[in-house]
Amino acid sequence: MQTLINILVLASIYALISCGYVLIYRVSRVLNLAHGEFMMLGAYGLLATASSFGAHPFAAVGVASVMALLVGVAIYFVLMRHMTGESVLAAVLCTIAVGILLRGLITLTWGAQQHYPMEQLGWVNSSISVFGDARISAASLGLIIATAVCYSGLFLFLRYTRWGIQMRAAGQNPLLAAQRGIRLNGIYALAWGLATFTGGIAGMLIACDSGLQTTIVTIGLKAFPATLVGGLDSLLGALVGSLIIGTAEVLLINYVDPLLSDVAPFFILLVMLIFRPWGLFGTREEIDRV
Amino acid sequence: MSTPATLKDKAILEVDKLEVSYHRVVTAIQGVTLEVRRGQIVALLGNNGAGKTTTLRAISGFLGIDDARVSEGTVRFCGKDIANRFPHEVAGMGIVLVPERDKVFENLTVQENLEANSPRQSSTLSRMQEAVYAYFPLLARLRGRQAGYLSGGERQMLAIGAALMCGPELLLVDELSLGLAPIIVEELAERLRAIRDELGLSILLVEQNAHVALEIADYGYIIENGRIVMDGDRERLTGHQDIQEFYLGAGGSGRRNYRDVKQYRRSRRWYG
Amino acid sequence: MPSSSGYFRTHYDQDLRFIDTRTQRYCLWLLLAWLAIYPFLATEMLLDLANQVLLASVGAIALMLLTGFAGQVSLGHAGLLAAGAFTAGILFKEFAAPVWVTLPASAAIGAVLGLLFGLPSLRLRGLYLAVSTLALHFIVAYLGGEYEAKRGFSSGIVIDPPVLFGWVLDSAQAWYFVLLAASAGTLLLAANLLRSKTGRAWRAIHDREAVAEALGVNVPAHKLLAFVISSSLTAMAGCLFAYFRGFVSVEAFTLFLSIQYVAMVIVGGMGSLLGALLGAAFVVLFPYGIEWAMAILPIPTRWSGMVFAVDYAAFGLVMIAFLLFEPQGLVGIWRRMQNYFLLWPFKQQLMRK
Repeated sequence: MQTLINILVLASIYALISCGYVLIYRVSRVLNLAHGEFMMLGAYGLLATASSFGAHPFAAVGVASVMALLVGVAIYFVLMRHMTGESVLAAVLCTIAVGILLRGLITLTWGAQQHYPMEQLGWVNSSISVFGDARISAASLGLIIATAVCYSGLFLFLRYTRWGIQMRAAGQNPLLAAQRGIRLNGIYALAWGLATFTGGIAGMLIACDSGLQTTIVTIGLKAFPATLVGGLDSLLGALVGSLIIGTAEVLLINYVDPLLSDVAPFFILLVMLIFRPWGLFGTREEIDRV
Repeated sequence: MSTPATLKDKAILEVDKLEVSYHRVVTAIQGVTLEVRRGQIVALLGNNGAGKTTTLRAISGFLGIDDARVSEGTVRFCGKDIANRFPHEVAGMGIVLVPERDKVFENLTVQENLEANSPRQSSTLSRMQEAVYAYFPLLARLRGRQAGYLSGGERQMLAIGAALMCGPELLLVDELSLGLAPIIVEELAERLRAIRDELGLSILLVEQNAHVALEIADYGYIIENGRIVMDGDRERLTGHQDIQEFYLGAGGSGRRNYRDVKQYRRSRRWYG
Repeated sequence: MPSSSGYFRTHYDQDLRFIDTRTQRYCLWLLLAWLAIYPFLATEMLLDLANQVLLASVGAIALMLLTGFAGQVSLGHAGLLAAGAFTAGILFKEFAAPVWVTLPASAAIGAVLGLLFGLPSLRLRGLYLAVSTLALHFIVAYLGGEYEAKRGFSSGIVIDPPVLFGWVLDSAQAWYFVLLAASAGTLLLAANLLRSKTGRAWRAIHDREAVAEALGVNVPAHKLLAFVISSSLTAMAGCLFAYFRGFVSVEAFTLFLSIQYVAMVIVGGMGSLLGALLGAAFVVLFPYGIEWAMAILPIPTRWSGMVFAVDYAAFGLVMIAFLLFEPQGLVGIWRRMQNYFLLWPFKQQLMRK
C-alpha cells in the first residue's frame, strides 16, 4: 500500500512538471530544457515571499505563483520571441543557456545551502495516515491535489475557452493562426506563463515536502523522460508517461538498486525512442532538422 | 453587376507599383498596380509562378516569414499604408486571407475552427457564427466533426466561414477552385457572390481557373511573370481574344499561327 | 578565405588544397614556430591553460564533425569523454595496461558507443536525437558511477602518468607537445575527411537528408560513420584527459560538460573547424576570465566565495548572447573583420544566409 502511495506521489510530481514541457512544446514546438530551473525558481520565489509575507502563508503562495507565471511571460518576450524562425536546436540551446543562467543567479542570491520554506510559512508537514498503515505527508497530498486540479483545469481550458482553442490552433498551424488574427506572441507568452506557473507550483510543493536545494533541478530533468514517453504534445500522454516512469522508479528503489532510479527514466526513454519516438499518445510527425 | 453604384467609387485596397524581392536578391513581382473597390469582386488571374501568391502575401503581411519584403511601391488599405506589417495587424484591420493550402486547423472541430478566430468585435462572435452556419448549412451539420476529416469542398467552406468570423472588409481568396470538383466550385462561387451582396465586403480572388473567376468577378487583372499585363471589367476580359485563347481555352477559329501569338506577347509587354 | 579577398579558385584542385596563398603559408609557418617555442616562454599557468585548450579542442573538433557538418545533434558528449576516461582508468587499474593499449581501447569503446549513440539517429531527427543522446549520457555516467561504487573507488580512480617510448609524461611541457600533436592530428584528420567524399556526404545530409539520399548518398551509413568517428575521437580525448589529470571520477563528466562542448561549437561557429578551435579556447578560458574579472571588479564580497555560480550565470549569458546576436559565432566575427579590412574604405554589404 505504501508503495502505491509512493508511486502516486512521484507520478504526480512528474505529471505536474511534465505539463509545462507539453504546453510549451505543443504551442511553440520548442523543447524547454530550462524547465527544471523554472521549477526551482518558483520554489525559491516561495522562499522569498515566505520571509516577507510570513504571517499570511496563503498570500505568500499566491504571490509566488503569480510571480512564476510572470517569469514565464517575461522570458518569452525578452528572449524566446527572438528565437522564432531559428532552428530547433538554437531554440533548445537557448533554453539550456537560460537554465544555466538561472541556476547561477539563484545560487548567487540564495546560496547553496538547504532551505525549508514550509517552516518559514509556519506550516507543519504532518504525516497523514491513509488506508490503514500507509502514510502520506501533507505536502505530498497537496501535490497530488495540485496535479489533479492543474490537469483538469488545463483540459477544460484547452477544450472550452477561446484562448485554449486559439492555443491549440496556434500550435497546429501558426501561419494560419496569424492569418486569422490570432496574436501569436500573446498565445506563446501565455503558454510559457502557464508552463512556469505549473512548474513553479510543483517546485514549491516539492520544496515544502523535502526541503529546497539547487539539486531540485534534477527532478525537473527526470520528469522530461516521462513527458517524452507519453508523447511530447499530449497532456494525457504526460499523465500516463509520468505514471509509467514513477512506477518504474519506485519499484526499482524498493526492490533492486536505489542507484538505478536515476537512470531508469532515461533507459525507458531510450527504449521508447527506438520503438515509438513520438510517444504513447503523441502525434507522429516529422521533426525539424538541425 | 448588382453592386450599387454609390459604393463602387471608393477604392478599399490600392496596390501601387508594388515590387517584392526575396532574400533581397530575387525580384518576384514588379510594378504590380491593382485596385479593389468597396463591394467589388476582383479576380487576379495568372499561371503558375506568375506572382499571384506573392502579391497576396504582400497584402496580407506574410512576406517576412520567407525573408521577403516589399522593396518598392505601396499597399494601401482604406488609405493606410499596410506594406510590411505583421499578419495579425493586417487581419485586425479587416483583411483576411483564405490560404491555398492548410486552410483549416485539422485537429480542431468545425465549431472550434470558427471559434478560434479573433474577431474585431468580440460581441459579434455568436451572431457571426450563426450567419456562417446560415451561409453553409452543411457546416452546421458537421459542427462536431474534426476538420481533418472534412472533404476538400467542406474544408474550403470552413475556411471561408472561419475567415468571415474575423469580420473582414476585404476577403482574399487564394485558389478557390484548387482540387475541387467543378460543381462544388460553381456552388462556392455563387455562395461567395451572395456573401458579398449581403455583407457588402470586397473580395480579391486569386485564380488559375479563369472560367470560375470571371464568372463572378466584376473586374479582373492578368498577371504574368510578376507584371500586370492586362486588366478590364468582366465583359472586356471575357471578350478579349487572347484571354479566350490562353486563359479560357476557347480555341474558337481553329489554330492560329505563330505570328498572332507573338503579337499577343508583344502587346502584353506594353500593358506591363 | 573571405570572398572579398580577390582570390578566386579557378580549379578543382585549388578547392581541395589546404593552403591557398603564399601569405597563408607564411602565416602557418609563423604559427608553427610560435607553437613550438610557446612552452619555453610561457609561465606555468599559461602553459596549463594551453594544455587544457588543446585537450578540449580534440573533443570540440569531434563534435563539430558531428553537429556542425553532419548535422546530428548530440548532448551526450560528456558521456563519451567519460567512456574514454573510464576505459583508460579501468584498464589501468585492473590490468595495469600501458597507454598504447588504453588509447586504442578507448577509441574502440568510443566507436562502439558511437554506433549505439548513432542508431537512434536513423529514426530520429533534431530534438528527439538530442534527447536520445542525453539519455545515453546518463546511462554511461551511471555505469561509470556503478563501477566506482562496486570497486570501492568511491572518490575516483588514480592513474599514473603514462610512459611513452621510455619517457614518463609528467611535466607540463611534455604534455603540451603530446596534446599539440593530438590536436593537430585530429584537425588534419577532420580536414581531410571533410574534403573527401565522406565530408561532402555529411554536408549533403546536413542540408537536406531526402535530397542527399536522392543524390545517391548512403544516408544511414554516413550518419553512423559520423557518430562512430566523432565518438571514437572523443573517447580518445577522454582517455588523454584521464592521463592528463591523473584521475578519473564520474563527477567530472556532468551534463554541464556536454553543454560546454555544445557551446564550443555554437560560440566558435557552426560548420567550421577553425570555429571548433576558437570555441574550445573561448569556453576553456572563460572561467579564468571571469575569475580575473572578479578579482579586479568591485563585486559583493559574498559572491567571491561562489565563483562557480558567477561562472554559471555569465556562461549562460554569453551563450544567449551568441545565439541571439551572433549565430555564426566567433568565426563569423573573424570573417567580418577580415572582410572589413579587405574592403576598407568601402562599406561591406551584409548578405544574409
